[in-house]
Amino acid sequence: MATLSINNVRKQYGAVEVLKGIDLTLADGEFLVLLGPSGCGKSTLLNMIAGLETISAGEIRIDQRVVNGVHPKDRDIAMVFQSYALYPNMTVARNIGFSLEMRGQSKAERDTAVRRVAKLLQIEHLLDRKPAQLSGGQRQRVAMGRALVRDPKIFLFDEPLSNLDAKLRVDMRTEIKKLHQRLGTTVVYVTHDQIEAMTLASRIAIMKEGVVQQFAPPQEVYERPANMYVAGFIGSPTMNFVRGTLSAEGDRLGVSVGRDRGLFLPLPETPDQAPDQAGHWLGQEVILGIRPEAVTCHDPAAAAGNPALARVSCRVDVLEPTGADTITYIQLNGQEVVARIKPSDRVTEGATADFMIDMARANLFDPKTEQRI
Amino acid sequence: MSSLTSALPPAQGTGARLARWGLYLILALFAAYYLLPLLLMIATSFKSPEEIRTGSLLSLPRELSLDAWSYAWNRACIGADCRGMAPYFLNSVAIVVPSVVLSTLFGALNGYALTKWRFRGANIVFAMILFGSFLPSQVILLPMARTLGVLGLAGSTGGLVLVHVVYGLAFTTLFFRNYYVSIPDDLVKAATIDGAGFFQIFTKIMLPLSLPILVVTIIWQFTQIWNDFLFGASFAAGGAQPVTVALNNLVNTTTGVKQYNVDMAAAMIAGLPTLVVYVLAGKYFIRGLTAGSVKG
Repeated sequence: MATLSINNVRKQYGAVEVLKGIDLTLADGEFLVLLGPSGCGKSTLLNMIAGLETISAGEIRIDQRVVNGVHPKDRDIAMVFQSYALYPNMTVARNIGFSLEMRGQSKAERDTAVRRVAKLLQIEHLLDRKPAQLSGGQRQRVAMGRALVRDPKIFLFDEPLSNLDAKLRVDMRTEIKKLHQRLGTTVVYVTHDQIEAMTLASRIAIMKEGVVQQFAPPQEVYERPANMYVAGFIGSPTMNFVRGTLSAEGDRLGVSVGRDRGLFLPLPETPDQAPDQAGHWLGQEVILGIRPEAVTCHDPAAAAGNPALARVSCRVDVLEPTGADTITYIQLNGQEVVARIKPSDRVTEGATADFMIDMARANLFDPKTEQRI
Repeated sequence: MSSLTSALPPAQGTGARLARWGLYLILALFAAYYLLPLLLMIATSFKSPEEIRTGSLLSLPRELSLDAWSYAWNRACIGADCRGMAPYFLNSVAIVVPSVVLSTLFGALNGYALTKWRFRGANIVFAMILFGSFLPSQVILLPMARTLGVLGLAGSTGGLVLVHVVYGLAFTTLFFRNYYVSIPDDLVKAATIDGAGFFQIFTKIMLPLSLPILVVTIIWQFTQIWNDFLFGASFAAGGAQPVTVALNNLVNTTTGVKQYNVDMAAAMIAGLPTLVVYVLAGKYFIRGLTAGSVKG
């Protein structure tokens, strides 16, 4: 149970700057996910919190205590590694109890603690085995047990699920979430899997090339991405980016897209509601970001009561049924757009159908800086 | 081993069978080629001088006589000293045991530090240690003699142990470094977070994982040091000489008729320990050499 604050933390290897000033603050019991592609510096940051890497500049505080120079064992943290890093020469019980052994606890104390954790993780029957005799999922549990046994202030997870097969990964993900709900310990979790990030996090920090792109709760990251990188990284299929021009038609503000900017998509805001932005951007190039699920088949009943739904007529190129929805590639006035429609919507490849775009869920980006407008 | 051969497709047809038998024939010839000298030595060592003079070289002894062995062990004259090979055999044990233990232990520690606690210049340090394993032993004779003189260890068993430990470090470090490179760094990180220090990680995690390479290193060092002649002849004074030097002196001490049976028995005594080590641990030696190449 602890707060964690990372203030302007930097990491340099020689002339290469891997982390370029990271600022993150976590309240007690939060679940932070560091999300990003490989090489973005997320694991380096985690190792710095753990104390396995030195901090080039800035400071890391756990519960207000600056831990920059504190040895990993004295930081009161526990870590679960991607490779599990179980000691192959020791039994499961000794693996779990090793940190207590190193801290000079008696055999009896250790046994009690190991039993408690083993019960929590349902691995009591494995305690006498060696890691080599365990399956991937069981090793994963033992690795978590080793972290849990000390009741640390902060848990650090370094891509703990990426070595598991798809089904087990989903199960363990749920279990990690349950554990967090039950124990309420602060967690820092590194992954490159956006689904893991969305499902587990109380807040996500999306990183790219050593810079935090956005630090916000999952839903906000999804709905209001700070820039096009974040928008493209989160969500599957990815967000549609449509080039257009911000324009006004009558008293409605909108985006003209497609050939000759011939298709006007009205935004829910009127020019009066957003005068500053509108004045600056009117007539300028913008990028319209639309999630696939914001593009659906036209439904007259829904459209009637909602002025934010823009009706468009598009040719259907390809249908990809996934069961729950059908991913549909359509031509929005000359630009390809992905829509997520219901399987019950009867559209056919090659034909033209009516779609509606929920402009209330649209995002506008600056084409030069790629930042959200 | 049978599981290994079963992985090959079974031989089919007459041609394949002939080829297989041809292979066995060649293998048998090679085995005979290597085993004949040993057989000759053993046979001769059990013969009486009479039989050696009259019989043929390759014939087996008519009756087993242990006289030559016991004579070589405790009565043969090494130079002017006629106490046999026994005291020199014990010298060798006194040299080999601490040399093997220390050089293996320090090699393991070196390998561990070079792979898991990488410091600035670790690669250069390793390259320099590696260079040591290419140094011909003759090259270090003079500087080492000077060093031992300065340290006051000249002509002592302790001095010879030091020479073997220092010279062996290049090899043992190489063995352990290459083995420890394949052990994941995460283990050390996890142990660090768990609160284990440099030596605790070494003794509780790295060493227990090192059995295959330990066996390889011990066999290698044992064989090298037991069979060493040059350092023993150069740095050990009369009574402290190892068994190899004693064997040479025994064979070269000619008074009267050459006692081939005693020479052969003495040679067998000098060579037996390495033979025994190979027979007992050879299986692990092969396993250790290939460890890491195939993940089991």
